[in-house]
Amino acid sequence: MSRTITFMQALNEAMAEEMRRDPSVFVMGEDVQIGAFGQTSGLIKEFAPERVLNTPIAENAITGVAMGAALNGMRPVLELMFCDFAMLAMDQICNHLGQWRFITGNQYSIPVTIRTAVGAGFRMAYGHSQSLESQFIQAPGLILVAPSTPHDAKGLLKSAIRSDDPVIFFEHKKLILGGVKGEVPDGEYTLPFGKAVVRKEGKDATVVATMFMVYEALGAAEELAKEGISIEVIDPRTLIPLDKDTIFKSVGKTGRLIVVEEGRIRGGLGAEIAALACGDYFSLLKAPVQRVGAPMVPIPGSPVLEDLYLPNKDSIARAVKRTL
Amino acid sequence: MALTNEKLIELYRKMLLVRTMEAKHGQLLADGKIQLMSHFGTGQEAVSVGVTGPLKKEDILFGTHRGVGEYIGKGMSARDIWLEYMGKKAGPCKGKGTLHLADRRVNIPGLVSSLGADFSIAVGTALASKMRNIDQVTLYFVGEGTCNQGDAGPSMCMAALWKLPMVFAICTNQFCEMSYMCEHFPTEDVAPRAAGYGIPYEIVDGQDIEITYGAAERAAEHARKGKGPYVVEFKTFRMALHFSGDPGGYVKPEDVEKWGKRDPIDLCQRKIFDKKIMTPQEDQKLRDEVKTEVEGAVANAFASANPTADDLFEDVYGQKGVIY
Repeated sequence: MSRTITFMQALNEAMAEEMRRDPSVFVMGEDVQIGAFGQTSGLIKEFAPERVLNTPIAENAITGVAMGAALNGMRPVLELMFCDFAMLAMDQICNHLGQWRFITGNQYSIPVTIRTAVGAGFRMAYGHSQSLESQFIQAPGLILVAPSTPHDAKGLLKSAIRSDDPVIFFEHKKLILGGVKGEVPDGEYTLPFGKAVVRKEGKDATVVATMFMVYEALGAAEELAKEGISIEVIDPRTLIPLDKDTIFKSVGKTGRLIVVEEGRIRGGLGAEIAALACGDYFSLLKAPVQRVGAPMVPIPGSPVLEDLYLPNKDSIARAVKRTL
Repeated sequence: MALTNEKLIELYRKMLLVRTMEAKHGQLLADGKIQLMSHFGTGQEAVSVGVTGPLKKEDILFGTHRGVGEYIGKGMSARDIWLEYMGKKAGPCKGKGTLHLADRRVNIPGLVSSLGADFSIAVGTALASKMRNIDQVTLYFVGEGTCNQGDAGPSMCMAALWKLPMVFAICTNQFCEMSYMCEHFPTEDVAPRAAGYGIPYEIVDGQDIEITYGAAERAAEHARKGKGPYVVEFKTFRMALHFSGDPGGYVKPEDVEKWGKRDPIDLCQRKIFDKKIMTPQEDQKLRDEVKTEVEGAVANAFASANPTADDLFEDVYGQKGVIY
């Protein structure tokens, strides 16, 4: 049996279920008792205040607190409200969180989940709108999760909380605030990291897209279908580990690859997947790989300019056509 | 509480061990036998050994990069430290941490490289102790220079806000890397900053082991009894330069002369002779024993096996198959 819930509910349920299941799980962050966007709202009705811990506004320090708590037997779920603010915590995340297991010779694991919001479209300009997930690709020791559906958000967040590796869990604002709905199983479930899904089958080109861009890619697929072009849309769901098998199995079928991300294009996830394609998988390609992403400029506040900045189904469709 | 004779000898022996280990490290570097960069704490042994003296095994220590004092003080062995320092597979961190010592058996979770990042990590371990309701104090031992890091403020703030069982111990050795403290601080003392967060503090002599131990004991008891954090500032003098590549030339000879008259090991030796706890012959025997222990630890480390290529890819993640 299944039921339909929103992306927001999916996140909320995942946290509540894991907190019920394991007393070492707790949620912390700025105003989590109220919930700035709503993901953690209501947890305070069921759980004690110390398990829904409001913190001062100090991103790097509260990330360190989460890490320390994880070093000492707890499983914190830390909210860093915007990924733009997570930049304040890059020392903790990239220098320490991801590297501690290795540098201590596996004496310590760091079961921290950091949830952070990405995505533009809300006219909030440069510092509340970025999609910075690619900034974390270079750091060793992290798991990066980027879900696009309520089903995946719930299953992957539960897996993240249970993971003994630190996880950065990206939540796209259009998915949490846009009321995106989807089916989830009634019972308990988790999802493995490193397993992509094929959102739409196709034969002419493979489009790899993440989070909200999955929906733009599906929009492009509809438009292209009118012209007789059939694309396969793949949602990696986790950026690290990356499911190369599913991606390149598809490229083996279509011979064409388009990588789409909302983040800026330079040195991004698309660049990484394109580099993989041009290396081990070069013989599969019938056309040069195309990247779709945001331009290398700050995100403008003007609605007109912000819309011009964002990749969308039209820019994806154009990129697909360049490969044909 | 006055130190027992046994405890005084134990602390004296540890101070001798620390100084002998660091002298050996310097000699090995000078002879070109090892590559390991050094930051010595010569002259500060009464602080590093005294501050860790009252800790129980289950208490947690975050130490500094300056020498081995607090690590020996908390219970690491010379043998394990040298195995790790030389990057050997049998080291507690499997040779992956070297200077960044961690030893879970004695609750030393590790050492950060970006100074002060562990201010908040230590708050996190103390938060976990409180959440788990276990009798455990976290000692955050830090140099005065690092107290200018941005996370010092919010970390003390959270420790006080949540009344956490922790001690902030500041080792004021008059130098911040390669500058005199007065070039970094508008005040002579650092500890009064704690008053801004409502944390009690005291400032004590860092040369006399009975004083340093006593202050640490009071601070740890305060934290252990659930009264919240406590700050102690120890006044000492760094007889060594900042690190092995430090060109020097900035230390005033009159300061070296003044502080040299109150060398912590000499002071302790005098106490021991005055109280007739040991004879000069017994003292010499103890010093020979310590020297033999250090030589043995170093020889053992030289002879111990290096890690292999496979070890490079181990311990990055708990989960398998993430690295490509």
